[in-house]
Parts: sequence; C-alpha cells; structure tokens
Amino acid sequence: MKNILFIILLLITVITSAQNKSILLMNGVAHLGNDSIIQNSAIGIKDGKIILVGDARSITLDKTAFNEIINVFGKHIYPAFIAPNSTLGLSEVDAVRASNDFNEVGTIIPNVRSLIAYNTDSKIIPTVRSNGILLAQITPRGGIISGTSSIMMLDGWNWEDAAYKIDDGIHINWPHIQSHKFSEEGNMYHGYDDTNKEYTRQTNELKKIFAEAKAYNNSEFKEEKNLRFEAMKAVFNGAQSVFIHSNNVKEIIEAVNFTKQYDLKKVVIVGGRDSWMILDLLRENNIAVIVSRVHNLPKNPEDDIDLPFKLPYLLQKAGILFCLNNGGDKEAMGTRNLPFMAGTAAAYGLTKEQALKAITLNTAKILGIDKTTGSIELGKEANIFISTGDALDMKTNNVEIAFLKGISIDLNNTQKILYEKYKIKYGLK
Amino acid sequence: MRKIVLYLFFYLFHTTLVAQQTFPYNGVSNNKHIFYAFTNAKIFVDHEIIIENGILLIKEGLIVGIGENLELPKGTVIFDLKGKFIYPSLIDAYTNYGMPEPRLITKGTIPQMESNSKGACGWNQSVKAEIEAHRIFNSDSKAAEEMRKIGFGAVLTFQKDGIVRGSAAFVSLADGRENELIICEKAAAMFSFDKGTSTQDYPSSLMGSVALLRQTYLDADWYKKQTSSSANIPNRTIKNVIEHTELNFSLEGFNNLQKLPQIFETTDKLSALRADKIAAEFNVKYIIKASGNEYQRLEELKLTNCKFIIPLNFPAAYDVEDAYDALNLSLAELKHWEMAPSNPFALEKYSIPFAITTADLKDKKDFWKNIRKAISNGLSEKQALKSLTVTPAEMLNVSDKVGRLKNGFLANFIITSGNLFDETTIIFENWIQGISYKLNEYNSLDIRGDYDLIIDNKDIYKLKIEGEIEKLKGSVLIDTINTPINIAIAGNSVSISFNTTNANYCQNGFSGAIRLSGNINNETLKMIGTAQTPNGDWLDWQAKYKLPYISKTDLLIKIETINYGQVIYPFSAFGKKLEDRDGFNKIVYDFKNRYDAILIKNITVWTNEAEGILKNKDVYITEGRIVRIADEINATKLAFAKIIDGEGKHLTAGIIDEHSHIAISNGVNEATQASSAEVRIEDVINSEDINIYRQLAGGVTTAQLLHGSANPIGGQSAIIKLRWGKAPEEMKFAKADGFIKFALGENVKQSNWGEYYTTRFPQSRMGVEQVYYDYFTRAKEYILKQKSFIALSEKEKAYTIPYRKDLEMEALAEILNNKRFITCHSYVQSEINMLMHVADSMGFKINTFTHILEGYKVADKMKLHGAGASTFSDWWAYKIEVQDAIPYNASLLNQMGIITAINSDDAEMGRRLNQEAAKSIKYGKMSEEDALKLITLNPAKLLHIDSKVGSIKVGKDADLVVWSDNPLSIYAKVEKTIIDGLIYFDKEEDLILRKDIQKERSRIIQKMLSDKKGGALTQKIHNKIKKLDGCESIELDYLKE
Repeated sequence: MKNILFIILLLITVITSAQNKSILLMNGVAHLGNDSIIQNSAIGIKDGKIILVGDARSITLDKTAFNEIINVFGKHIYPAFIAPNSTLGLSEVDAVRASNDFNEVGTIIPNVRSLIAYNTDSKIIPTVRSNGILLAQITPRGGIISGTSSIMMLDGWNWEDAAYKIDDGIHINWPHIQSHKFSEEGNMYHGYDDTNKEYTRQTNELKKIFAEAKAYNNSEFKEEKNLRFEAMKAVFNGAQSVFIHSNNVKEIIEAVNFTKQYDLKKVVIVGGRDSWMILDLLRENNIAVIVSRVHNLPKNPEDDIDLPFKLPYLLQKAGILFCLNNGGDKEAMGTRNLPFMAGTAAAYGLTKEQALKAITLNTAKILGIDKTTGSIELGKEANIFISTGDALDMKTNNVEIAFLKGISIDLNNTQKILYEKYKIKYGLK
Repeated sequence: MRKIVLYLFFYLFHTTLVAQQTFPYNGVSNNKHIFYAFTNAKIFVDHEIIIENGILLIKEGLIVGIGENLELPKGTVIFDLKGKFIYPSLIDAYTNYGMPEPRLITKGTIPQMESNSKGACGWNQSVKAEIEAHRIFNSDSKAAEEMRKIGFGAVLTFQKDGIVRGSAAFVSLADGRENELIICEKAAAMFSFDKGTSTQDYPSSLMGSVALLRQTYLDADWYKKQTSSSANIPNRTIKNVIEHTELNFSLEGFNNLQKLPQIFETTDKLSALRADKIAAEFNVKYIIKASGNEYQRLEELKLTNCKFIIPLNFPAAYDVEDAYDALNLSLAELKHWEMAPSNPFALEKYSIPFAITTADLKDKKDFWKNIRKAISNGLSEKQALKSLTVTPAEMLNVSDKVGRLKNGFLANFIITSGNLFDETTIIFENWIQGISYKLNEYNSLDIRGDYDLIIDNKDIYKLKIEGEIEKLKGSVLIDTINTPINIAIAGNSVSISFNTTNANYCQNGFSGAIRLSGNINNETLKMIGTAQTPNGDWLDWQAKYKLPYISKTDLLIKIETINYGQVIYPFSAFGKKLEDRDGFNKIVYDFKNRYDAILIKNITVWTNEAEGILKNKDVYITEGRIVRIADEINATKLAFAKIIDGEGKHLTAGIIDEHSHIAISNGVNEATQASSAEVRIEDVINSEDINIYRQLAGGVTTAQLLHGSANPIGGQSAIIKLRWGKAPEEMKFAKADGFIKFALGENVKQSNWGEYYTTRFPQSRMGVEQVYYDYFTRAKEYILKQKSFIALSEKEKAYTIPYRKDLEMEALAEILNNKRFITCHSYVQSEINMLMHVADSMGFKINTFTHILEGYKVADKMKLHGAGASTFSDWWAYKIEVQDAIPYNASLLNQMGIITAINSDDAEMGRRLNQEAAKSIKYGKMSEEDALKLITLNPAKLLHIDSKVGSIKVGKDADLVVWSDNPLSIYAKVEKTIIDGLIYFDKEEDLILRKDIQKERSRIIQKMLSDKKGGALTQKIHNKIKKLDGCESIELDYLKE
C-alpha cells in the first residue's frame, strides 16, 4: 500500500512539475526503436524533446544541467508504442450503439473525420497507455471510403489538445471480389454463387471519385465547393496517405494497380493477410503494410498454423516496410495487447528489436510522423516510457513512467483503482 | 453390339395394370390373361445366378417361370431375345417419387415457440411421425419415366421433411392408378437430423435435433404405456375412460413406425455415427442413408453394423485455373473430389452391406456415368448389381417380391443389349409389373459413325454422325470446314440436309441446302438414295460406313485411372495417414513416429506439485502414464524408448481449457428456449475441426466443450482430450463427471439480439432468477415422482401410468443429486450473488462461474459457497455488463483462495493460453507457478479431473508439453504436445505435414486441370471461413441466421 501511495505522489509531482523541467534517465536499458540498444543509457529530456541519448558508461555528463535525475537501473526505456488503425476513443462499449462513433452513413465519405469524435475521456484509453501505447491512429470504419483518420496522443484534455497529426490519411475498404460462406461439417456447397456481383460497380465508383477528385483539385476555378473532393486534396499531393484495407491477394493486386493508375504517392495496405504472396509487387511499388492482427487464426485449414505469427517476419525478410495493429473484433479494448503481438512476432522470426520497430519507428514512418517520434533519437519528441522489464512480454511489461512530449502522464486507470479498492476490502497486500 | 438385329415384335397395347376390380371401365374390357415368354436371353436371376440361355415367362404382372428349358403354354407371346440380357429392374431405396413438395413457409422474424401443425399433433413441428407416404402418394409419369429410363422398376418414397418423417411407401414406377402401384404401403420409417420446413424455433442446432429425437422415443414409450397401464386397472373397461391424458397423433404414429425398417438420413460420416448412438440407446437399428464420405471413417462405421444406402453424388472438378482462387479450395474438398468415387468400393472392401440410390444426384442422367466411375474405382459389378436389386429389397422387407427374377415375383425386369455396366450397353425395355416401357427400340439402328458420302458418283465428303440415338447430329467436311447437318431417321429411311456452295449444285454463286433422302442397309449401314440440289437437280448419293462412333464419355472413362491418395485422419489438412495395409482393408491406429515409451532428458519440470519447478530432470513415460521423474534415468536400459533431449527446455502438464467451443458441429447454442438442459455437446463433437490441431500446437491437451450462453440453463458439456485423428467417441475424457452450462445476464435476456427478440422469458435479471426457481422446483417434484414410481411394487407398476421421463428434468435432477455440475457464464456481481442464493436455497452448488469478470467483487461470497472461477485474462468493454471487468480479477480471486482458471472461449486465444495466464503476473503480480496453474491444475480441479491430469506426478496421465522456453514467456513455443504418452503435435513433424499438404494439393489440382481439358464440367470454388464460436459472438451469429 505504501508503495502505491508513493508512486501516486511521485506521479502527481512529476505531472505538475515536468512541463518545464529537464529530466535525465540514468542507467536504463534503452531500446531506441531503430534496431539499437544501449544497455546502460543516459537519456536526457528538455522542453519536450530528447536532448541526450548516450551510453552512461562512456559519455561525460553534466548532471546539474537537469532538474531531475531518475535512476532506472535495470529497467527498460522504449519509444512510445503506436497503435495504427484503431478505434480508441470512438468506441466505448462494443455492443452499445450509442457509444460507437466509428461508422458513418454513406459508402464514399472521405470528408468524415475521426478527429472530432475522439473522446479523450474514454475509459479504455488509460488502460491502453498504461501498457506503453501512447499514440494511436484513430480510424473510421465502414463503407468503401470510410473517412479520414488522425493521429492522437493517448492523453489530453480534449481532441484539439490530443491531436498529434490531423487528417493523416483516408481509408478505403477495398471491395470484395467474392463474399464468403461459413463452413460447417458436412457441407460441400454445391451451386451457391458467392461472387460479389457488385464488385465492378463498386470499384468503378471508387475510380470515379478519384478521377473526379483529382480533376476538381487540379482545376483553378471551383464553381461550388465539394466537401468530398476537398477532403481528398492532400492525397494527390502526397501530404496524406491512402490506407487501403484489404486482405485477399487478388484484391490487394487490384488495389495496387488502382493506386498506380491515380499516381497516389503514399499507399499503405492495411490487413495484408495474403501480402506474403506478392512481396515483389509490394516492394517494387513501395507499398507499406499495416499487418493484420498477429494474434489471429490462419484463414484456411491448409495454411501454416503459425502463418499470422510469422507474417511480420516474411515481410521483414522481403524488405517491406510494415508495422503491427490490432484492428478487428473487440479492437479498442484489445489495443493494449499490441506490444505482445510484437513479442509473438519476435518468437516467430523477427529479432526483438525488429519487433519493437514494428510498433514504433516503422509505424511512425508509415503514418508519416517519424520526424518527431517513433524512436529515441536526438531532437525527437520525448514520447517515451519506462518499463521494469521487457515490454514486449506480458510477463514483464510493467510501465512505471511515460512521457508524451516530455510530460509525464497519468498511468492510473479505473481498473487499477478497482483493484486497489478490493484489495483493501479483502485486506490483501 | 453395334449391329442390332431387327426383331419383329408385337406392339402391346398394355396401358393398365393387372386388375382394377372396383373401378368401372370405358369401352370394351381389355383384361388380358396372356403368357409372355422371353427366350434365348442371358438372364441374371440376381447378382449371383446367371442363366446363359434362358426363358422368362410372365403372366398378369408376375413371373411364372424361369429357366433354361421351360415348356411354354400354348398361346404364349414369344419374344426372341437372342444376344440380349435380362436383369431384374433396379430398386432405389431412397426417393421422393410422387410426393408432394413440402410446403416451405418463410420464417417470420418473431420467435415461434410452438408448432404450427394443425390437429392433434405433437408439440414439435419437425416430428411428423403421423405422415404416411402411401396416403399422399401421387404417381408422376414424367418422374417415373426418368427413373425407368435408367433401369429402375420400384422405389421407396417418402416426404423428405422433418426429423421424424413418418412412413415411406414402396411403389412401382409403372404408370397407372396409385391403387395398383403401391407395392408395400408402409415399407420403412424415415428419420433425419434436419428439421426441414418446420418454422418452429426448436431445435435450432444439431444437438437439439438429437435431443428432440431422444425425447420423442421416450415420450412415445410413455404414451404407449399409458394405454397399457389404464387397460390394466382392475374393474375398469377401457371404453368409458379417457385412455390418454392427451391424444397425440405424432406419438401414436411414432409407435406405429417402430415395427418397420428404420432409415436415417445423414449428411456426413460423423452424423452416421451420431444416428447409430441414438439407435443403440433405444435399442433400434438404423439403415443409414449415407452422404458419400463414409470412406473417411470406415473403421468406426463398420463397427456400427449398420446397413447403408449410399448416393453417387461425386463432386464435379473445381475450376482451379486461377491459382489464387484455388487457395480457397480445402484439402478435404480436393481429396473428396478424388476419392468420392471410391466410396462404394471402400464399403464393399469392408463388407459393409449397402444399397445404391439415385438420391443426391443433381441429374439422374449421371447415374450410369457415376456407377461406371465407381466401378472403375474398384466397385465390383456383382456388388453394384446386388446394391441395386437384392440389397434394397432385403432392407425394405420386399425381397419376396422384387430384386430377383423368381417365380411369383413381380415381373420387373430390364432387357439390355449386353452387360448392364458396359458403357455401350443400351437398355431396350423396362418391364414393370408386366408392362413394357420401351426405352430404345430393338430395331432402332445405331447409325452413328464415320462415312464416306458420295454425291453424283464423284463428289466425296467425310460424313460424321454422332449424338444420341434418338437425337442424332453430325457434320460433313467441306474444304476443311465442318458443316453441320440435319439428320433424321425413321425406320430405315434417312434424310440428311446441309448447306452447300458447290458450283455444281448451285447457280452462279447461289447457295442453299442440298437435301438427301435414302435408305439404310441393316447389316452394312450403307445408305443409298437421291438428293435434290439447291438448283433443283436430282442426283444419286450413297454413304459408306467407315468407322464406329466413339462417345466423349468413352474417352473420359479411358483416361480415368484407379489412382487416388490415401485417407487421412481426420479428413482435413494436417490429418495423418495411417498405415494402410491392403488398400482400404485394414486400418490400424499405429501412427508413425509415435512411441509407447518416451524418455525426456535434462528438462526443467514445472510439476504443479509441492516440489515446484525442478531443473535438469529426466521424465519417463510409458503406457500413457508418467512413470518416473528423477535426476538421471538410465537411457541404455530403455533402448526402446524415444529419447527427447530436454536441454534448455521446459516441461509442463498439458493445458486444460475450461471453456472452449471448438470441435462442435452445427451449433453451440440451442438458443430457442430458456432451458435446454436436455441437449448434449457430446452428441455433436466434431473430430475434424482444424482448431483441434492448432490448439495442440499451443499446448492444449484437454478442453471442456461448452454449450453457448443463450439461455439461463444451457446444454450439457463434453470434456475431451485433443486426440487429433481419433473419432468423436474416442476423444472423450474417460469417466469424467458430467457438466452443464448455465448463463446469466445480457445473453440470456437477449439484450443484444436485436429488436425482435423481446418476447422470450426472461428479458431482465429479475426474470432469470425466476427461471431457475421454476425449473428447480419442477425438478424436485420430478424427483419425487421418480422415487414414488420406483417404490411401487411390480403389480402396482403394471397399472400405474408411469411418470414421463423428461431429459431436461433428468439433467436438473442430476444437478440436485450432485451428479452433474454447473459451469455458469456470469459477469456482474448481483447475478453471481443471486445464483448462489438460488443454489443454496434449492440445495445444489455452483461448481464454476465462468467469465466471472466481476468475481473479484464477491470473492468472499464465492469462497463461502465453494464456487470456482474460470475467467478471461483481460477482456472487457465489449458490452455493458463487462464495464467493471478488470485484468486483476484472476489474481484477486486466486489470492482469496478460490480455484481460479483462465479460459479461452475463443479458438484463437485457445492456442495462446500460456500468454493469457502470464498476464496475471503483470496484472496482480501472481507467481509464475501459480500463473501456470491457472491453465493446468486449476481447471483440472474445476473439471474434477485433477486426479488424472493437471500436474506432473508419477501415475498421472502423460499429458505433457515440451516448451522451447519458460512457458509463461511470450517467446515460448510448443515443441511437442503429448497426450496419453503419444506425441500428437511435433514441431518437426508439422513441417513435414506442411510439405505433404502442398504436394497433395498440387497433385490433385493437376489432375483436375487435366480433367477439365478432357471436357469434364467444373464447379466454382467457394470462399469459406471457418465459423468460430464463442459466448461473446453468439448473439450476432444468431441474428445472422
């Protein structure tokens, strides 16, 4: 009990004072997020930026230059984990319609923005950041063009305050060529046609809006403002990415050809379950992949049983830029397990530092925020956290302190509070 | 057989059958009492007895003589069938011939709890025992003709609708009045697991169908006893009292069905095993209408001693031209395509009696093609004939009338040009009840072939005539271009026409058709005649026969070879081949690389016992048990044992998943009533589910397969060991206690089921409590009834109407008698508290609360009650009732001394349970040893199997996992999973299996491609996703349906 009180007190002091303070983290194992580790590090933070990254044993330090020195000996320092393709803050309780704000009416609605629906006070968010995930790409769902995502800090008074990168990209759900049937014992499915007869119409619709939006945004005189076209402006000049959600190999190939046709600069495949079949195509076209949930089952009984576990490794080996995400069933609450998916990817081929990159620097690159975050490097923002052990392993992931832009954030959450409350009730230690 | 001898024959004006004594007639009576003799034919009396040159004599629809030297009565009409064959007409024991289509009513969106059947029927719309096929039979000349054409003379027919389908009639395929066509009015009783057109909610699952059928047997017996008991009451005449508390046509019908042969339709080999289980329980024997994949589980099916009726529904090749699309084709589908035609042969090899049916054929015309396919895959012609004649006749107890050509039998026979099973054989006539149906005229010339066509003695063309005999087509080769012709023959006259531009026939480039008329020579097939050109000139022509016609199907049969892969167990990817001795003949369960004794050296042992974690130990297992754990076990003395080097590795007890929904066929929920205590998961274990293998690869060795959470009192669960490859019954955990699923909260009050599901009681937590009080109050009364009946003397029993044995109440009585234990899906503290109060006041215990996400709030109360907990590590926020769920729950409960487990409820999480357990170290600082117990020893305790599994202790079952690393680390991988001392998953073997799968797929796909090139039809591939069941996905799935 004393320990807890102490931590709470410590946090309160840190929160209130950190803003203008410079902090030195000493002797921690620093995982920089760029493949390197410093076993005994000195990391300096000032004005929200990382001002020092060094080996504590070899650099000469002016410790007086820092307001506060925290000894993190034996502990691990990580860059903030980033969750791409997330509905955090847009969904509170999956089954309650009133609490869900990720799906808008309409099939092509690039103008719909997740940013302004992001609820900083979602009770889920604190449970996620307390596992080291400090940034997330908040992404709308549904339709063919679901809308525009934004990258948010997982701490903030309101969405304006929490915004990290506003309107980073639009999201396309590539239409399915073939719908699916659920297989049950004894069924061999004679005669049922599950071709998506709307496929051509749907892709044509997509092509049409891209052609029209491109023309609209190229034209000098706009008779009447078109919100949908306006929302796609930055896609053509490369300021925004196009995230195409697709898993099926044929559909991904279609999507890649589509992006070439419209000369889209920054294209990311989200899902990419079958991406391992078309590695060359993806590499040649510089297409990054936000890999579908690692903790997943293979689609077909014939697939290698560990296919979802080793998919990151297959992409790594092929030299394709990729990162991990937790999109899918129960996605908001499950976001906190993103680090362990990286851990599993490490068990199935990646090195631990490559796995770390898949939730830090790679993600930052794919989301276009790597100039300021994603790794512990000089000049980047101090979006970092300290775990007492290996943060990719649930056995040892234990986040003690976390900083967003150099400010220590609250790591408490309603679940911890309930835990403490009932420990007291039962008189447990 | 090409040359067909011309016969003179008497055209018979038979259009009516033997006698219609009660019917008036129009015109002059045409009753005939004439003998017909068929002489000089090769007669197949049955599949065994053949008369090379025999005579068949019939009169008035019956066979009156058969033999080599029969004396023919005077005035006999004689047909000389020299060179021809006579067979008994074929019998199909599974058709819906002449049955009205079951009326399909679209189900409304509102729940339908009661039956819509009119009249004094039973409670469930899918039990139609009162239906009698002979009463609704209407002969259908078109359908009859279709069957007659392929050689059938009589069929069993019934209305294919419902779980109990009533009686079937055995009818003739002759045309005429139904009065004469019904050979046997009640020939069989028909069953299935398919509720058919019933719009009633119950049953919604396969296990519900099983339960309904079992209850129907019990109810029918009870119904019968009421009559006999009341008859026994002294000093009472039956007439003046009401015999039954209710009159029930369905139960009455069901009892009447019992004396008939019982035919059960299945859709899968496992369903056949399920049907047989019911048969054994109620002391009946089913004839199994098979689905066509029986070869995949022959050993078990053989042991049922059932007879089978098998279809010839061989799947068409799939369109595999697109390599990506072909990925959606499962190994099972590929292999089934290749092996389905070997199914009849497989049954023959195993000496399983079977009939062959035309049922399930998309097109009856495929019948002969598929029979030949089966024969080219090994089926003997003798067996084929038997399965189409004698066997079905015997099955239906009509073997004294049909199936053979014997005196007194119906004159049902076919006349063919040769061996019935030859490709080129033509069936000329099908005689049914003494009436001849001409299929092909004896005298019809088969003029198909290649000819030299000579017009005007100088112009020579190649003429090709092909197509079907009744529908000829052809072409002439004019300057390298095939020009189609019109051709028709009538008797020996032939007319041919085709377009021509030949200058000799046309004026100045004018083109048109040249028309040829002529006559065909019976022997030489030479045609001679005159032709008229477009010009109008008359020219002589002739056509000389050159080469015989070869059909395309001929070509297909020729490229077919008896070459197929092996059966794998289960019939799925990662299934394993068994040692195959003598083809299908002997299947022996001795897996390659599986050893009876294993010695694991130098391994870190997580004992889960007082010893804790032991480093550098040797573990010896044999005969399925852990025999020794020691610092050093001498390997030289155990030379026969397989040695596993455990250096740097960890050994734990196998993982036990207390809450799983894998390996369940066709529905985990019988969601239609507030209680479904009568349904049993053990009836629907699916041994072929790939998730069994995947979970083995995650270290799971035992799982409790639970009913879903759609109703307060759910179904009975099954505890299985993940013995991949074994049949469902062999997977069951031996002698395990029975468990049942209960559920509370949002799922049972249908909170998330959509706007229509608002009428079933309960709709609030208040109602949930009342459901329990109601059911358990009734269960107590049931027990009293049970006891008081048992206490009666034999004499008293004879005239006392017995209590109605109710499967639902039986299950609840078991709970009250401490013989069945509850696992209850639960979330919020109020409901947990409530159920413990109900249990305490009614005198039972809650064994386990599952999910129990707010258990930490009432841990003290749970402790007092003695309930255990099986929870999720960190799930929450997916619905209102899980808002206060915390990942510290397991730790808190564990610290409070409650037996706590972590479960999956999810096929994906089920293979990473070690990770889920490890989260308790993060959330709540549980010790590593305790964390491992969450998924091993503790669930074993909750399931009452901890004396056998759950820890590494001498004498316990050798259910073990070899890990690459600390099993609670995210980096740990399973290297070997051992159950009963046998290695069921091996990392190295897995890599080999992956290669095997790829090889086998490629081989069959290549075969399919060449089949397609050979002209075979193909079917589209479907994109399939394995349906995953979990408590929390149920509501949505239910709504999808």
